[in-house]
Amino acid sequence: MNREIDLASTIVAIATPPGVGALGIIRISGPAALEIASKIFQGKHELSPWHLVQGNLFDFESGEFFDEATAVYFPASRSYTREDMVELICHGSPVILEEVVRLALKAGARMAHPGEFTLRAYLNGRIDLLQAEAVNDLIRATSLRQARLSFYQLNGRLSRKIDGLRESLIYILSQIEAAIEFPDEGILLDKEQIRKKIKEVIGELDKLIESHNLGEAMMRGVTLALVGRANVGKSTLFNALLEKDRAIVSPFPGTTRDYLEEKIKIDDLIFNLVDMAGLGKPDHPVEEEGIRRGRQLASQAEGLLIILDNSQPLCDADLEILSLARDKKAIFVLNKIDLPAQIEREKLNALAGGSKLIEVSALFRLNLDKLKRSIAEVFSPALNKNYENVIFHWREKAALERTKEALTQVLEKQNGGYSDEIIAEELRLAADTLGQLTGEIKSEEIINAIFSEFCIGK
Amino acid sequence: MAVIGEYDVIVVGAGHAGCEAAWASSRMGYETLLVTIHLETIAQMSCNPAVGGLAKGHLVREIDALGGLMGRITDETGIQFRLLNSTRGAAVQAPRAQCDKAKYRLMMKHWLENTPHLTIFQAIVTEIMVRDGKVKGIRTLDGSEFIGRAVILTPGTFLNGLIHIGLQSYPAGRANEPPSLELSQCLRRLGLKIIRLKTGTPMRLDRHTIDWSYFTPQPGDEEPVPFSFWTKKKLENKIVCYLGYTNEKTHEIIRRNLDKSPLYSGKIKGIGPRYCPSIEDKVVKFPHHNRHQFFLEPEGIDTAEIYVNGLSSSLPLEVQMEILKSIPGLDQAKILRPAYGIEYDAVLPTQLKPNLEVLEIENLFLAGQINGTSGYEEAAAQGLMAGINACLKLRGEPPFILRRDQAYIGVLIDDLISRGVEEPYRLFTSRAEYRLNLRIDNADQRLTPYGYKLGLISEDDYRLFLEKKERLQRAMVFLESQKISIPESGILTLKNYLKMPKVFFNDVIKYAAQLKELSPEERRFLEAEIKYEGYLKKQQREIEELSKVDEVRIPPNFNFQEVPGLTREAIEKLAKFNPSTLGEAKRIPGITPAAIINLLVYFKKKKPESNKKDHLDVSRET
Repeated sequence: MNREIDLASTIVAIATPPGVGALGIIRISGPAALEIASKIFQGKHELSPWHLVQGNLFDFESGEFFDEATAVYFPASRSYTREDMVELICHGSPVILEEVVRLALKAGARMAHPGEFTLRAYLNGRIDLLQAEAVNDLIRATSLRQARLSFYQLNGRLSRKIDGLRESLIYILSQIEAAIEFPDEGILLDKEQIRKKIKEVIGELDKLIESHNLGEAMMRGVTLALVGRANVGKSTLFNALLEKDRAIVSPFPGTTRDYLEEKIKIDDLIFNLVDMAGLGKPDHPVEEEGIRRGRQLASQAEGLLIILDNSQPLCDADLEILSLARDKKAIFVLNKIDLPAQIEREKLNALAGGSKLIEVSALFRLNLDKLKRSIAEVFSPALNKNYENVIFHWREKAALERTKEALTQVLEKQNGGYSDEIIAEELRLAADTLGQLTGEIKSEEIINAIFSEFCIGK
Repeated sequence: MAVIGEYDVIVVGAGHAGCEAAWASSRMGYETLLVTIHLETIAQMSCNPAVGGLAKGHLVREIDALGGLMGRITDETGIQFRLLNSTRGAAVQAPRAQCDKAKYRLMMKHWLENTPHLTIFQAIVTEIMVRDGKVKGIRTLDGSEFIGRAVILTPGTFLNGLIHIGLQSYPAGRANEPPSLELSQCLRRLGLKIIRLKTGTPMRLDRHTIDWSYFTPQPGDEEPVPFSFWTKKKLENKIVCYLGYTNEKTHEIIRRNLDKSPLYSGKIKGIGPRYCPSIEDKVVKFPHHNRHQFFLEPEGIDTAEIYVNGLSSSLPLEVQMEILKSIPGLDQAKILRPAYGIEYDAVLPTQLKPNLEVLEIENLFLAGQINGTSGYEEAAAQGLMAGINACLKLRGEPPFILRRDQAYIGVLIDDLISRGVEEPYRLFTSRAEYRLNLRIDNADQRLTPYGYKLGLISEDDYRLFLEKKERLQRAMVFLESQKISIPESGILTLKNYLKMPKVFFNDVIKYAAQLKELSPEERRFLEAEIKYEGYLKKQQREIEELSKVDEVRIPPNFNFQEVPGLTREAIEKLAKFNPSTLGEAKRIPGITPAAIINLLVYFKKKKPESNKKDHLDVSRET
């Protein structure tokens, strides 16, 4: 969306969710916030900074009051957006809330775009980009763990981490720059030391990049495809994991023709399970199309649950499906253990190779907890790591990866015998890219770093 | 009061800034008066006897490429030449020369004396005459008045100068030369914000009293690289500099006498430069260093004076002598001139427009140390730009402003006016965002077309430039098309071969003897353009991206209150600086990104009024 940024107008929005609630909150932000709020709200006292004032909501067109409310005025110096802000707290009827917005618009405010309050906080320099993103994550948090991590990010923990890494890079850069700027001062560059420091930063970047696995699993979910021959019980297992009858199940092979996608939560992680038609010989053109789509989905999924029927001997179709595990993380699920085993376990173990094999009965809900635990462990190995910071967004991950790439270039160029100013150029690029996460690099920083370290002069 | 004369441009001060300013304005055809306290000290090198160095050497190349004097005179009067960083890449190589100070002065004086439209006059200027916010001329100590349509002020350290040796101090602009007290008062009266800065200079020793056997010789380059693109004669090294070290005993003496240092006793209030600390500063700030290096540099051929680069100090004379006694080889050395510290007034440069004109006073230009810089080269660069811009202003033409990506001169002036200074400002190559393109080998390719268009480059010199340019283009085409076979890499063009690390132009010449006709200078250019090609292309794209926003135009005398959402503070600042583009607005101190966004939204909505260009129309060809 290419919306024009406009900081001049005063914006209004309902801050509480749609529907009926005991209380509802309306926020007004911008140069005319106080003036507009004062038209709609008649308090027992005048609105003054950071004081909760009781009063009534007033329709300045009809001259009638329509609700009791409290209001708080946040002056520009210390408000969420760093603009003048007023928050009106009234009863949570949608009718009342919408009336307040209507009156605010009438009094000269404009409807806020989604996220505009936070955008203003960012543009007015109160928070950096990482913190702005955390606000949204916090609002949409799906687990307490994610909320906590986003809260830390909002508090600036990730920003400080990034700033710290950037400072390390600027320190290294200042050493190289000092050697370049003062060739007569006899400054010797310790190349090994520089390499060591850069590798340290790369190590830290790796940790952050890796944590995106977990961030991704928390925010968007990891997509897992349930694959197997027809009638091995994929849909039954799908329903059992969801704990609801989502997919139609029947004793007849080929019941599932289209695919279904549903989310489940295991611990703090989200998994998108995809149930699909059995992979095998189709009996019907619709089923054939289902299989084609199923294969495509299986190839796009981040992981596979390969389901086998304990009550049937392994056939060629099974073997073909098992081979899918060669390219992707997979768990082998041996279903129908409530029935007598017809499958050769030793052969199966050999075929499974390094992949996990879990025995379940989807129908009788046996061993499902074990399966869930395995899903979390196999498909989100980062789960148990105690990351200080977790990267939730592709933008952040991409910037970290670009920084790492630039640093790898530094190491390569240094090895390749390139001259110091080229090394410095790559290092600057790395620091710049890292700076894009939060703010911008200034060459003044490098100069300052040079003089705090070196004794230079005439 | 008697009006003695009328001029187009009056330059006050004949240091490195003043000389270039006077040269530029008279060369551009304007009747120019250059006023100096002493005719004998025109272009005096007040401190070290060297020109150039990293970033500074780059500046001299740029001054030269635009038609300024510093490079030519350095080549004429240099007595030792070195190319610094010769083992690193082209972008960070820079020439430095030891000069014969007396010869440098005389040569500059001679040059200016023979410049048409230029009058030199010895006097002490006490007042800048201003009426209705516009400069009218100057008044001197004896009450004489000179009418000037534009005035360029380049007083160096003379504004309210105060010299410190130990706890003694006396008013002076340079050792034993009178300071400009009235002029500083006058600037305050005119409403300019003044800051106090500090610098210093080391002692000069009698070369006959030094035991040279204790020091390591530092000879010049076997093949000296000239400063000026037009210097054709072979340069000669006539002297050798020497390297020595202080020791623990020296440091102990300094520590014991810190109470006699005006710097550490709190007597000096001005802020000194971090990159040029006095020896007492180094000892205090780096207690873990058990020695500090210094260089012994002759100040000329016909003088016994030796400049001790590294021992700048404002300690009392007797302590300076004790310091020398602690250093083997200098223990018998006689001081000819003591080291001293000097405090002086400067004008906070955020009060200037990008053309170096004072915001509040029309046609008054400032250049050099008065703008908070240090260094001969920084001063000369500003002087040249002030001279050019004073003339353009009188001509009613748009100013000549170099961008940060075009020249170090652009970086220097932009830093000054947009950030101001807290300590004496020195240029560094790392201050430039686009360092790989701002090289000594392409300064003429970047700037000489401007210099020619401005009227600073003679027809003959310009013809030589064009010939060189053509030679370079031909050679580049050749390198791009000629293929060779290399054992490990197979068949590739000479250009791609030269791109490989550890392959240099001399390796290429083995395969193509006709390239031998290129001068070392031209070889350096080609090598750099090829080795940096990927980076230069990337930077070019970045510059184009950025300039889209920067080039959004703001109409003259625009009323910023029309823009919704600007804070009162932003409106006041914008009205004061009156930026002509969004890029300029961005550089005004205290203007927030939010204000820029408001401006951008406002002006993007409006139709662009005209395509009239504000800068000199010379395409960027490299």
